[in-house]
Amino acid sequence: MTDRSGLVGHTYPHYTVRVEHGKVREFALAVKDDDPVYADEAGRLPAPPTFSAVTSHWLPRERADVLGLDLRRVLAGGAEWEYLGEIVAGDVLTVRAHIAEVSEKTGSRGPMTLVVTEHEFVNQREETVLRLRSTVIELGER
Amino acid sequence: MSESAPPPAPVRRVGPLTRTDFVRYAGAGGDFNPIHHDETFAVAAGYPSVFGHGLLTAGILGGFAASWLGRRNLRRFTVRYVDQVWPGDTLVLSGEVLRSAPGEVEVGLLVHSEAEGREPRLVLRGDATAVYPVSGGGAS
Repeated sequence: MTDRSGLVGHTYPHYTVRVEHGKVREFALAVKDDDPVYADEAGRLPAPPTFSAVTSHWLPRERADVLGLDLRRVLAGGAEWEYLGEIVAGDVLTVRAHIAEVSEKTGSRGPMTLVVTEHEFVNQREETVLRLRSTVIELGER
Repeated sequence: MSESAPPPAPVRRVGPLTRTDFVRYAGAGGDFNPIHHDETFAVAAGYPSVFGHGLLTAGILGGFAASWLGRRNLRRFTVRYVDQVWPGDTLVLSGEVLRSAPGEVEVGLLVHSEAEGREPRLVLRGDATAVYPVSGGGAS
């Protein structure tokens, strides 16, 4: 398997994302969030709890290449969101992320590599509103 | 919501999920790994078909937790993916209070997947922490 242990501590270039009203509604619809607030076209929409996923649309392209994952063997491991403040449509978030851990283990599906990435989301008032820790798994070659 | 622990979560069923649901999530969430929408790619990778994004299941559970505990009360939400969600699966979401203290509650969350002719499977295990204003604290 590819040795990625040297990537621990790698910091991605930060980038900025506007929380768009239409994108919030689209995301709420996709995750079947039936909160009536998302039916309101004019409201100041709050971001659904896992809305941070949307920022990956605007990830700088080089980002995907650092890990060099084989998409045929990639599985999501898990994620933890820590909510420190509100995110609403109209906010502008700066996303900072770094690779926090890389580990190898053997599970029921054989050898695998686990990569943990930590993200911090800072709004236009310099308030850290969200922290996200996510784990991606790459299974060994079959 | 008052200062007391939330009432038990009503079980919510979502589905059956379709390939179109996966494609809609890919577009909304920005994860275009072809394993979730391209049947040829998924089969070549050794899977029986495409399968749902972990973050789709997590997103559905996040909405469930927010509506149960109150979106603004959520302080932490954690998910661990256990098994894949296939086209045709219906998700069954449930939650229970694990610990409760004045002003704070910790809950366990589960997503099982049901499909015709198959035993229900656990697909995701999660937990969440929510805080509530304590009466007499003056905050509302």
